Amino acid sequence: MDPNTAGWALVVALFLPLVGAGALAMMPSSMDRQIRQAGVVITGVAFALVVAITASFDFGRSGELQFTTDVAWITAIDARFELGMDGISLPLFFLTYLLPFLCAIYTTKHLPSPGKPKAFLGLMLMLQTGMAGTFVAFDLVLFFIFWELVLVPMFFMIGMWGGSKRDYASVKFFLYTLFGSIFMLVAFLAIYFQAGASTWSIQALSEMAPFGSTTFQTWAFLGIFLGFAIKVPMWPFHTWLPDAHTEAPTVGSVLLAGVLLKMGTYGFIRIALPILPEGAIRFAPLIGILAVIGIIYGSLCCLAQTDVKRLIAFSSVGHMGFVMLGIAAMNEAGIQAALFGNIAHGVITGMLFFLAGSMHERYHTREIAVIGGGMLKKLPRYGVVFTFVAVASLGLPGLAGFWGEFAAMWAAINPGLGIADTYSGLYLGLVIFAAIGTVLTAGYFLWLLQRINLGDPLEKWAKEPLDDIMTIEWVSWTPLLVLILALGIFPVLIFGVQDAAVANLMGYLGG
Amino acid sequence: MNSWVELAWLVPVLPLASAVAIASFGKNLPGKGSEIGVLTLVAAFVVSIGIAWETFSAGTPEPFERAVDWSPLGGGFVFELGMLVDGLTAMMFLLVTTVSLMVHIYSREYMKGEPRFTYFYAMLSLFTFSMLVLVISNNTLQAVIGWELVGLCSYLLIGFYWEEKSNQDAANKAFLTTKFGDVGLVVGVIVLSAGMFGTGTSTPFNIQETNAAAMAGELSTGTIVLGMLLIFLGCVSKSGQMPLHVWLPDAMAGPTPVSALIHAATMVTAGIFLLARLFPVLAQSATVMAVIAIVGVITLFFGGLLALVQDDLKKVLAYSTVSQLGYMIAAIGVGGYTASIFHLFTHGFFKALLFLGAGSLIHAVHSNNMSDMGGMRRAMPHTFWTFIVGSLALAGFPLTAGFFSKDEILIAGDLWAGQGFATGSLVYWVGLAAAFVTTFYMARACFLIFAGENRSHHAPHESGPQMVGPLMLLAVLSIASGYLLSPFSSQEFNFENWTATPFVEDATYPFLDAGTAAGGDTVVAAASSLTLAAEGGEFSILHGVPTWHPDLLAIVLALFSIAVFLAWRFYGKGLPERDPTLQMGAFSRVLVAKYGFDDFGYRFVVVPVRDTFAKWASWSSNVVLDGIVASVGRGTKTAAMTTYRVLDQRVIDGGVNGAAFSAAWWSNRLKRIQSGDVQRYAGALVAGTIVLILAFAAAR
Repeated sequence: MDPNTAGWALVVALFLPLVGAGALAMMPSSMDRQIRQAGVVITGVAFALVVAITASFDFGRSGELQFTTDVAWITAIDARFELGMDGISLPLFFLTYLLPFLCAIYTTKHLPSPGKPKAFLGLMLMLQTGMAGTFVAFDLVLFFIFWELVLVPMFFMIGMWGGSKRDYASVKFFLYTLFGSIFMLVAFLAIYFQAGASTWSIQALSEMAPFGSTTFQTWAFLGIFLGFAIKVPMWPFHTWLPDAHTEAPTVGSVLLAGVLLKMGTYGFIRIALPILPEGAIRFAPLIGILAVIGIIYGSLCCLAQTDVKRLIAFSSVGHMGFVMLGIAAMNEAGIQAALFGNIAHGVITGMLFFLAGSMHERYHTREIAVIGGGMLKKLPRYGVVFTFVAVASLGLPGLAGFWGEFAAMWAAINPGLGIADTYSGLYLGLVIFAAIGTVLTAGYFLWLLQRINLGDPLEKWAKEPLDDIMTIEWVSWTPLLVLILALGIFPVLIFGVQDAAVANLMGYLGG
Repeated sequence: MNSWVELAWLVPVLPLASAVAIASFGKNLPGKGSEIGVLTLVAAFVVSIGIAWETFSAGTPEPFERAVDWSPLGGGFVFELGMLVDGLTAMMFLLVTTVSLMVHIYSREYMKGEPRFTYFYAMLSLFTFSMLVLVISNNTLQAVIGWELVGLCSYLLIGFYWEEKSNQDAANKAFLTTKFGDVGLVVGVIVLSAGMFGTGTSTPFNIQETNAAAMAGELSTGTIVLGMLLIFLGCVSKSGQMPLHVWLPDAMAGPTPVSALIHAATMVTAGIFLLARLFPVLAQSATVMAVIAIVGVITLFFGGLLALVQDDLKKVLAYSTVSQLGYMIAAIGVGGYTASIFHLFTHGFFKALLFLGAGSLIHAVHSNNMSDMGGMRRAMPHTFWTFIVGSLALAGFPLTAGFFSKDEILIAGDLWAGQGFATGSLVYWVGLAAAFVTTFYMARACFLIFAGENRSHHAPHESGPQMVGPLMLLAVLSIASGYLLSPFSSQEFNFENWTATPFVEDATYPFLDAGTAAGGDTVVAAASSLTLAAEGGEFSILHGVPTWHPDLLAIVLALFSIAVFLAWRFYGKGLPERDPTLQMGAFSRVLVAKYGFDDFGYRFVVVPVRDTFAKWASWSSNVVLDGIVASVGRGTKTAAMTTYRVLDQRVIDGGVNGAAFSAAWWSNRLKRIQSGDVQRYAGALVAGTIVLILAFAAAR
């Protein structure tokens, strides 16, 4: 595949899951097993295609868009069907194909009531197209369509296969994020009219920037900010997340943490920063403050949780805080850190949700006190994997979690675009508090490990025959475990791919 | 092969390979993996010897630096993976591989029959690797990585017996206390590297470049003071300085060989090593040096006092480690670069010896408590004489290694005092006083263990060769290592020249130049003679080979004799019914309560964060923030219903459009607004958007 001409490959990869969903719909519901296998095949073929795309990606020119497609689409409003990927899109796009594949494998064994794999996998495939689309769409209208497309399947996933409070959680998830995206849409429209170039192209608009008065940029940025900040989610817009995560089925949680949240941070980096640089500079200190509040606050909330899954959900608030701190630094290192943190969080927290789900399968509870310790004795392999992932999540060097956190703090010490002239003291404070957040993070993870893994198992579990990690779980988890280690040892796998693209992007901001 | 130093990368890589191999297939081997650990450590030890010999015989060796660009970090900056091999590195290599090898051999017998034996060996090797990654680092970021990895290994090994809650708590306490210090380390490293941005380097973490920039005055005072104080916070927690030493005594929950390797000889000295690495940077600021000296002095004295009231032998040794680390830190703060790392070196051997000796005793009597020992001299002769050698070295008895290294520290304090710094006198006098305390508690321990009658419920017997062998070797080193820097040493080839880097040779104290010091019109670095330095004309970091100080020798001997005599009076005949160290009223109570630091930390840090702030945050999220979201939702619903009623009323009252649209038709339509149906709500939102678009278009 020639990355300059093979735009078709990206289109095929993008819509393959959607087509697959259609194909699944044709299968009779009674073929339960075959439907699940078909899910693995569809996501597997799509993943294989994305691996091929990655292999033929020209890493020497990762700053430029490759696999582009640009055709007229809705001419009445100048919307074009513009797709492409650069070094920023590629890692996220890759993750969007890896995780559903692993989820499909996992679903061959585990599917919460009421079952119905056809509907479940169909929704997951729809979701996949929506998520993937946001990372490769380079037209604001197209981006928005994909962005909204994600909501519907996730709504049904939580609402149908969720826990006891699924109705509340799903409606809340849907309305809250929709609320944010309305403001985003208005801001997109404002940008379109203000630029006056009859284009929605993200590239074109980035090159034209800055346009409009500072006031315009501020207001437009605020609109976009609301849309993306809710998705990330940033403190104080995070309250939909714990409910959605806690109630969602395992696969839903994995995809929510693994990919969905990244759409928000990606949006900031791809759209808000380059198109509205002056607005971004104005907002950066505020973003930084909210990010660090999120880090400390999220970690504190984790300490108070009694439910494993809810704890992991809150940990996302803290981890995404580091990602946003990187963005608030407004320099190349910060954007690099944010994007690295994105991927690392996707892999690690996705894996944690897999573990939480499987824990629930075994113990039929997620209450830490009810599980009551001794898992290393009762389920030794499971306990070791759990320790490994928890340690990765608390940011141990050598594992994936470290680089995003360290680099974000490092970048924030010297924020770019003139922010340092006014706010260097503030940013130093942000770095210190973010670092204190890492202590709290270590605190709640070690405490969690102590209460679940260590000690002797409670009497009620001691005689219970619980399965250690099953083959299907090894298959669906091993790639993530390998990635956690590989990204920690070879950060160049992400940093290297992104480097030129981030430099390019910062060029738009005048940095 | 041209030289040994080019093979330096092997030294950390071998233990890593060992860890991986042990974890993968160690269980299936006859030695359950321990033989892999021992063999690879022997290889690493041989390479370390080669490097040590090569660097030592070079006088002050030129640092050998090699690095690869491991990853870009954005903005043109690069993270290097590299090695910096000079005398300091070589010294640490030698110390770490020697002690680690001894511990690997010793544990084959000591840990025999333990569950998780193979895991233990994998972790020992992994720890050794991590420590060596830190030691070999040519940049501070790589050092941070090694630093945090040793912390993880420490956590995993302290909690080795994780069935017991107290051991779990000790592991958590160690990890979190040091992690708190790491806030300082990480932010400090970041601050220093930010200072390097201005120099146009692409490798802002590089240690040699940082030292050079600091000496050339390219780093601002603010960067140096803030950066080094923050890094020092990391050293305070890692190297057990007060008040963050609280984790170290609790860390004795781990197996004793672990205490010897990690919590005495190597990991806890990481802070001192890092300060030595960055010495040319911290030497730029009198403030930084004063803070370091004062923390060190407080720790060396008050930490040592705590050992007086312990019954648990490992706790005695732990507090003595805290105290000895305090000497090393204090030495850094008074310009005793060589003195500090020399003490680090000798202490590593004799403290490892003492811990391994303690392990041998504990193995024999199945108790950590000295009150359960007594009379061990006859039952365990080899453990006895090696332990005595270790104790003498720790107490600084003349002609042992500890004597030469501790005296170096006191002399460094005296010289610093000669430059007009009060911290220098403090180190000298408090250091002497603490030496008295050290002698007393070690003499107390030795009498309680070896004198009197056997109080244990076992018939103790000497340990086997795999345990006694390392004790003997370490005992030899506890004496011999001191002669690397003694009045008997060569002027050219000695510990000082070996571990001095070219930066340390050239570095000066700019604040001495500025006239804060008494005397010293010019500060020249090259002078390496003690007399010259003492005269105050020229003051350099290197002081040259020590000469005899009869006055100091007399004081030291007198203090030693008094302390031993007192201990013999109280403990010479075995365990007294009422231990005099516990009969000192309020003073004893304060010591038993560990000055209240542990209690304070638990009651005013752990409990509020875990039980108050966390609950508050969770409540504010679930009730306050979510309440706002919920009330917005409710408000919207109420507004919709009100609109419906008003419109409905109007429609009915006015009878508008009565013919075309009946009231029933309207109400039927509007009723659906509050259906609870998400798609409808979404539709309403889209409609609202259109209104906003129109409003925007009109405003434009």
